[in-house]
Amino acid sequence: MLGSNPPPSPPARRRRGVALGLASGLALVSASGLALALACAPKKSATRAPATKSPATKSADAAGEPRSGATATKAAATAPILLRGATVMTATGSILEGADLLIEGSTIKAIGVGVAAPAGAEVVDARGKFVTPGIIDTHSHMGVYPAPGLTAHADGNEMVGPNTAYARAADGYWPQDPQIERARAGGVTTAQILPGSANLFGGRSLTVKLYPWARSAEDARFQGAPEGLKMACGENPKRIYGQKAGPATRMGNVHGYRDAFQKAVEYKRSWKKYEKSKAEFDKGKKKGVALKGDDGKAKEEPDPPARDFALETLGLVLDGKLLVHNHCYRADEMLLMLDLARTYGFKIRSFHHAVEAYKIADRLAEAGTAASVWADWWGFKAEAFDGIRENAAMLSAAGAKPIIHSDSAEGIQRLNQEAAKALAAGRRMGLQIADDEALRWITAYPAWALGVDDRTGTLEVGKLADVVVWDGPPFSVYTHAERVYIDGALVHQRGAVEPRTDFELGYRDGDLAGDAKGVTP
Amino acid sequence: MSRRGPDPRLSRRGFGLGIGLSFGAGILGHGSWARSAPPADPSPSPAAPGRRPGEGVTALVGGRLHVGDGKVIEGATVVLRGEAFTSVGGPELRARLAPATTIVDVTGKELTPGLIAADSHLGIVEIDLEPSTRDDSGGDHPVRAAYDAAEALQPGSSLIQVQAIEGITSAAIAPSGGLLTGQVAWIDLVHGDRKAMRVRQGVAVRGNLGQVIAGSRAATLAKLREVLADARLYARSRAAHERRQLRDLAAHPRDLEALGPLLAGKVPLTVRADRESDIVAALDLAAAERIKVVILGGAEAWRVAGRLAERNVPVILQPTHNLPGSFDTLGARLDAAAILRKAGAPVGLAVLGEAHNLRNLRQECGIAVANGMAWEEALTAATLAIARAYGQDRDFGSVAPGKTANLVVWDGDPFELSSAAVQVYIRGEAIPMVSRQTLLRERYRDLSKFRGSR
Repeated sequence: MLGSNPPPSPPARRRRGVALGLASGLALVSASGLALALACAPKKSATRAPATKSPATKSADAAGEPRSGATATKAAATAPILLRGATVMTATGSILEGADLLIEGSTIKAIGVGVAAPAGAEVVDARGKFVTPGIIDTHSHMGVYPAPGLTAHADGNEMVGPNTAYARAADGYWPQDPQIERARAGGVTTAQILPGSANLFGGRSLTVKLYPWARSAEDARFQGAPEGLKMACGENPKRIYGQKAGPATRMGNVHGYRDAFQKAVEYKRSWKKYEKSKAEFDKGKKKGVALKGDDGKAKEEPDPPARDFALETLGLVLDGKLLVHNHCYRADEMLLMLDLARTYGFKIRSFHHAVEAYKIADRLAEAGTAASVWADWWGFKAEAFDGIRENAAMLSAAGAKPIIHSDSAEGIQRLNQEAAKALAAGRRMGLQIADDEALRWITAYPAWALGVDDRTGTLEVGKLADVVVWDGPPFSVYTHAERVYIDGALVHQRGAVEPRTDFELGYRDGDLAGDAKGVTP
Repeated sequence: MSRRGPDPRLSRRGFGLGIGLSFGAGILGHGSWARSAPPADPSPSPAAPGRRPGEGVTALVGGRLHVGDGKVIEGATVVLRGEAFTSVGGPELRARLAPATTIVDVTGKELTPGLIAADSHLGIVEIDLEPSTRDDSGGDHPVRAAYDAAEALQPGSSLIQVQAIEGITSAAIAPSGGLLTGQVAWIDLVHGDRKAMRVRQGVAVRGNLGQVIAGSRAATLAKLREVLADARLYARSRAAHERRQLRDLAAHPRDLEALGPLLAGKVPLTVRADRESDIVAALDLAAAERIKVVILGGAEAWRVAGRLAERNVPVILQPTHNLPGSFDTLGARLDAAAILRKAGAPVGLAVLGEAHNLRNLRQECGIAVANGMAWEEALTAATLAIARAYGQDRDFGSVAPGKTANLVVWDGDPFELSSAAVQVYIRGEAIPMVSRQTLLRERYRDLSKFRGSR
């Protein structure tokens, strides 16, 4: 994976599993004691690959590779679920009235009018309700900046230097963050957990599903989702490091990117060179012919270059295996970054915050780079001063991929409302934006940005059953997510199934008065 | 770049021109539904020589008026003259309008009082992370009660019109930090003209509870009591102080002096307090010191809703603040406003401590309604309840004769995300529905005009 021809990817690798001594074979990750949520939770299985020969992949602590390769999610033997008679908003361009959606196991089995209920199916009367794909947030710090915001909990910004590409959000993620349950109650099923934006290279992201049963980052990980690399432009890095060793200016920022990518190119080259000489050595050894060097002595087995986890991460970006998520506000700076990416031959998957994206909507559409934006945050710093409500809509109109992201544990609870505000602003300026398109801002496009659009983000047969049943139109301020399914499991039902994290036990009224209600699960 | 003077396009005086240019397709310009009543009676009014009856008077007719106090009037007639409402009624009032009255037909529209932003930084913070654009803090001393942020108010702030065109018409401007932070001002959101903003200085004193002093909430309360005691002492021993015959005081005499109206019960202490124990402490302090308090934030106020109701102490909260973000807010919940109202406590809603998105107050209202608050009560909480909390309800907060004519015409349910303000009236004038943001939008509406190679 460090050369131009990466070694074949094993089906799946799980770092933790190896650490636990499960070097290979099948391991069933059984869910913890969340009885209600678990009643219909599919059991996850993960195939572990034996160690490979590739230097980057043989380590048990496989910092080098993205967790590519889909892991089959096996359905537990639970009853099929038929959502009956709803307005089904598929995020594929169609909105079906009085339609049904059938969930079997972890996937969507059927969508349409008059779907027959299989034997033993649980039929949910969804008449008058709206069904959408689960909401996906490309920008969250849940788990790495959890609530309460204690100093002990701040694990999202490795502010020791401007390049911490070696850091991984997965290693700082606290699955007991109470913010997660509130996001789930808002219909969010998938989120990208990003390191913060203090550094030019903040580190690797982790895409999670909001399973209530996750006891570790690996439990929460969206199996098969590629990881991302968090990069940051502009004010933050220069503010943090300006009085230290730099960068102190935007010039310094860009030098930092160029320098790092150049080193990654050279790092890759050194590995390629090593792999070539190693292959020659092995070939000779196999044939029983000892290779001789220029001095006529027998060549020794070559030593691999020293492994550098930061450069390895950047190498994966250059190989197109890590998706670049770039915190960048200003239009001119985004164009600068697109140029830099072209120079080094990688793609920026999504700009984040991008409050000036509307100024370069055409260029973003051309580049095939998404823009993760807020509906209306602006002005808290100079690079955010030109934010306008119509940003997302103007991107849609130009054929780019707008995404409404949160970067906030409050905002993530109502991304549907944030999309609604951006939609309304677009329509008021005269743009024709369909409801389905606005829904894609919080479902299909973020799924694409996270590289999981083949599995989630729309309501389509065969996709994972990440589904929300809303008690009204999803773009209304008065609407609640009534039921939330992840991988076909009911993980939230308003007033009935509201899983709580460990942290909050004992802090709500009645908890310590022997009132079991709300405490279990 | 040097700061420009007020943009004429943003000036209220330039309204006729600004709207005529019709920024933003789809936004209904004032002119498109305004017309004058036929001049039936050309004879000059005896009361106003040289003026026809109704001249300079505008009446909005036909809309559904949410008065702000809980009442709703269908087919309302709202009469504005100068800066004030002169009469408010139903369709019957329309027949009695003087002939020269300018009639604005708002049939099918929703009318509300202008929304009021509590505890905001509007006009004293332009860019949060740029200290050179901030004047919200009066220094490092924990007691700076005399600090008056209104003196730093920037009428040319681009943030003002961004809020105003979305229905915010008045704001309480509060400084930040410390124990006793400073004086709170009350303004109308008239851009570019301090005089027209009708700044009212010193409508409240702003403070903070919690771990402000010595990292201890108990030390914080002790210090607060000490300062209040010294303010009383200084008030009666000024001469002794001048002769240097008074012991050391807990704060500078000017700061102690500035607490006079608070100690006299004329203005409230609007105080940030989230944890239940801090809220209870604030109630106890108010009783012991005989001062008025208003709780800001109040994450756990719902736990003592009954006591707040009993003492009639308002809580101004932000409904979306439902996270256990600190150990002071472990009890935060989405339905706090509904619980407090049910118990009978006065509730205000706000986007707290903010300057850029005060306009999202209506979304906060909608979320409060979605979580159990009655619709009209949520509107009251964003209008009349705020005016009451700051002692400004004689002039603001509802659509009533004699009150300042701050009014918003909405094209639908004001709390709904698809709705928008189609026209905002501040101090009786239809403001230009233009902001720096709408100008940016128009500049980039068509990208084909921008050249540049790749």
